[in-house]
This record gives sequence, structure tokens and C-alpha cells, in this order.
Amino acid sequence: MTDAPTSHVIETSGLRKEFRSRRGLRVAVQDLDLAVPAGGVHGFLGPNGSGKTTTIRMLLGLAHATAGTMRLFGEPVPQRLPAVIDRVGAVVESPKFSPHFSGRQNLLLLSRSIGAPDSRVDTAVETVGLAGRDRDRYKSYSLGMKQRLAIAATLLKEPELLILDEPTNGLDPAGIREIRETIRGLGASGVTVLLSSHILAEVQQVCTSATIIGNGRMLASGPVDELVGASTTYRVDVPDPDAARRVLRESGFTVGDDLVVETDRPGDVTRSLGGAGIWLTGLTPVRRDLESVFLELTAGAELGGER
Amino acid sequence: MIALARVELTRMRWRRAVIALLVLAIVIPVLIGVARVWSTRPLSEAQLTEFHSQVEDQIADCVEHPRQWGVRTKDPERIRARCTRNMSGWQPYRQPLSLASERNGGSGMGVVAVLTALLLLAGTTFVGHDWNSGSMSNQLLFESRRRRLWAAKALAVTGVAFALAAVVSTAYWLGLWAVMQARDLPVLDGSLADSLLYGLRGAGFAAAAALGGYALTMLGRSTVATVGVLFGVSVAGGIVLAVLGIGEQWQPQKNVAAIVKDGTTYYEQAGNDYAERDLPIWHGIGYYGVALVATVGASVVSFRLRDVP
Repeated sequence: MTDAPTSHVIETSGLRKEFRSRRGLRVAVQDLDLAVPAGGVHGFLGPNGSGKTTTIRMLLGLAHATAGTMRLFGEPVPQRLPAVIDRVGAVVESPKFSPHFSGRQNLLLLSRSIGAPDSRVDTAVETVGLAGRDRDRYKSYSLGMKQRLAIAATLLKEPELLILDEPTNGLDPAGIREIRETIRGLGASGVTVLLSSHILAEVQQVCTSATIIGNGRMLASGPVDELVGASTTYRVDVPDPDAARRVLRESGFTVGDDLVVETDRPGDVTRSLGGAGIWLTGLTPVRRDLESVFLELTAGAELGGER
Repeated sequence: MIALARVELTRMRWRRAVIALLVLAIVIPVLIGVARVWSTRPLSEAQLTEFHSQVEDQIADCVEHPRQWGVRTKDPERIRARCTRNMSGWQPYRQPLSLASERNGGSGMGVVAVLTALLLLAGTTFVGHDWNSGSMSNQLLFESRRRRLWAAKALAVTGVAFALAAVVSTAYWLGLWAVMQARDLPVLDGSLADSLLYGLRGAGFAAAAALGGYALTMLGRSTVATVGVLFGVSVAGGIVLAVLGIGEQWQPQKNVAAIVKDGTTYYEQAGNDYAERDLPIWHGIGYYGVALVATVGASVVSFRLRDVP
């Protein structure tokens, strides 16, 4: 824990978590080096059982790391967690509140435990759209309302870092959109958001950067645009596809069956076809999405880490 | 710390199962007290009249069937005189209320037992719910210092348990004393003070039990597990002690009595006879203190080191 602090809000180095049981040893997280820069929304992706939640739980002091180091805001955790926990809001797995208390009572207890004024509960409830239902018992809430309450709880601290583990689980489409906008807004306002999710479209829409893990290991990390990569394939639209395919192959291009051409110089495609008297009606870049990157990286990933 | 303990007090106040147990911890001693007051009430005129009437009936029966009553003479005058004399010692009697009697083998230990059991359950239920609902992890996201959270909850549980037990015990003994005053019964010098101290020692024991129940639940993370362990220990523990032939001074109830009564006595085999021995208060405190310290220590260490679901 003697490394110099950096500008990253979250850093882990060589992080490892083992679970021992009668069935043997299971490694949930291994040698994970995670770096989340300050500001923006960072996606944390991985298949179920890949170690996302375990990593988050270790960062928040709910689980102890077997090996490795972690830092939040440059402070080593869990040693200095009390010094930074007030700057971190988090929803870990499913929302966990006392079912017999109202949503408001649950928030009041959490709010008072950090010495925040009760008025902050009103603001948080208003922000997540629970006003009017906040005095109902938590156990009467729908899953979506429980998620909203959990997000309201994170806002009680006015956090600089928000860690959200599958925050849109159980929300209806309108709710998902609302939460997505909230997350985007928080990211834009300077709050760093770590968004753990396996809904890739959601991550791609909201996140500026992402880390993909599988089997407890980091598979890729960086800005979403870099992860997806610059487009190197183009779909060619012409009146005579067979003639175009023949011309392009003769010109040395690799052409797929659906007239998709791999090249980093699309101008050459236009020139070759024009030279043969074939005029393009369309040349469209075929973008890879995060889903295809994710599936490529996590292909064959065994659930639940190594045993 | 105080602020956190106040939050825990609020949590306790909002938890209905805990409130129900605390209400029972008031109601049952009140019922015990009412029952003691009722069963020691002075005989009424009607009861005295009924009693005298019954005696007259018995005398008449004796006069009619003297042999059945052991009267051998045949002289009617002497029969009546003998029968009347035989039954003249019959007096209506009901044990009057006495603070000393209630402390020594009366209802005092019953009140302590009720308070102890209910407050132990309250401590267990209070924190068991945090584990059952999973809200413990949420609380740790707001107060990550685990020892501090453990201590705040312990302070709330122990404080409430002691305050409630002390008030109930004090009210119980003052109530009995007031009834004795109203009945013009003599109260020995220092008996009220002894009773109040007895109540406070009982309250301390009940509060320690609540702390123990809380600590055990933080260790086992389940109310059901805690109740199961306590039930198992209370049943199997006595059997094991009996089978092993462990001396009476190691029986749990003897040590409770030693604490609450500021010392008690027990019997120990001496040769072919039994000798009465003193069991001082420190023996009881040591007996339960070691168990409490071990439970609390294991609970704190476990809460600090184990992952929280």
C-alpha cells in the first residue's frame, strides 16, 4: 500500500479473491488491475459470475481481498475506507432494506447515520421519483421501486463516486431510460460512475470508458470507442453485386458474401468500382458494437471463476 | 458514536417485534406482581364468616360422629367441649405479603427470569432482522467502521435493556412495598433498599443477557440459530453437568441467584453428609462474565473479519 496516489478514482492492483468451502477453493477474482479515471461513466462488464460484484464488494469493504491492493480516491482501502466512504454511493446487487420499514424510514436511518439532515431524504426521494410512495412499507414496493430507493440511498451522501451494480434490474423501459439519463447526468456533472452491467447496449449508450472481465480476470479496458475499435469494414451497395464482387476481388480486396469489404481505405473501393463503370449507391461503414467485442472477449468464459 | 447509537435506538423503536417483546417485559412482571398481591391479600369478612361457618359445621359433625374424630367419651357435654377444643386451633391463614419472602424464593427470581428471557430475545431479534433483510451491508456502506457499528448497536441494546429492566424492577418492588404500606404490614428496616438493590442486580443481569443475545446473533447472523444454540445449551448443559457430577456451585441457576441475591448458598457432599456452603456474588459474576466476554470477543472479531453478505 505504498504506491503513490494517482488521478484514478478507483484502482486495484493484483486483486484476488478466493472462496473456500467444503467443495474446495474457488477463485472469484484474480490479478485484477482496474483503473477508473475521475469523471464520466465507466462500464464494468462481465458475464454472470465473472467477479464484478465481488470486486465491488471488496472495494466497499464488504468482502476482504485475499491478495492485492485497492485504492479509492488514492486512499488505500479497506484501511482508509472510513475516510472516503462518505464520498462513495453504492448499490450492490439487489437493494437491501428493512422490509417492515417504509422507504422513508429506511432512508432516514441511513441519512442520520452520517449526520445528514432529514431534508436530504426528501430531495433523494424526489430525484428518483418515489415521492408519494416513500411512506409505504418497503416490502410493498415493486422491484423497480426498490431499485429507485437504492439509488435514492446513494444520493444521500451527495457522492463523488457512484458504484451501481445492475441498477436497472427490474425497471420498466421508462424507468430504465430515466435511470440512464440520471446516470448520464451525474457523469456529466463530474460524479464518477462505475456502472456494472451486462446490458451492453445500456453501457454503450451511457459509458465513456469500460472494463471487461471474465473468469475474474480483466480482458480489456479503455474508452468505449477504442474497445469497439475504428471501423475497418464497409457494406457496398451497387446495382450489380456479382460484378462488383468480381472487380473488388480482382483489385485485391477481401470481400464477404454480403458484399462487405475489409479495408482501412474506403476511397480505393470507390475508385476501383468507378474504374470498372460500376457506380455505388451506398458505401456504409459496418461498426462493431460492444456486444460483439464482449462476446469475442468472453467467449468460453466459465461461470464462477476457476476452481 | 452517540449519534450512531441514537440511530440504532430509532431503528429499535421502529421495529415492532422488538417493541412487542419490550411491552411483554413490562406486562408480565405487572401480572406477576398483581398475582402476588392477590394471593397474599388479607382475608375478607365474608371469608372469615365462611371459615367460621365451616368450623361450626366440623364441630357439629364431630359431635354427631365423635369416634370418627377420635373423641372416645360418651358424655355429650364433654364431647362438645372436646370437639370445640380440638378445632379451636384452626385459624384462617394466608401468608401476608413480605418483601423478604419475595426476594428469597418468592416472585423476585421469577421477575428476573422473565426480564432476562425477554430482553435476551429482544437483543437477538433486533439484530437478527438486520442480517435476515441484508440491510447490514447497506448500513456498512454508510458506516464502514465495523467495530463502531457493532458497539453502537450493543450500546443501544444494552442501554435499553438495562433501563427497562431497572424501571420495571424498581416499580415492582416499590409497588409491593406500597401494597404492604396500604395493608399496614410491617416492613423491616432496610428491606426496601435490599429489594431495590436486588432489582437493580437483576436488571444488570438481564441487560447482560440482552448483550449476550445480541453478540451471539452477530456471531451466528441469525435469530433462529441463536435461539437454537441457547435452547440447546439450556437443555443439554444441565444434563451434561448432572451426568458429569459437577458440583451445585456450577449450576447456572445457582449462579444467577448468587448475582441477584448478592450471594447464596449451595450444598456440597462432605463425607456421608451434605454441608451448606456460601456462593458469593463474585462467583456468579465470574461464571457469567467469562461466558459473556468470550461471546462478545468472538462476535466482534467475527464481525470485523468475515465478509458481509
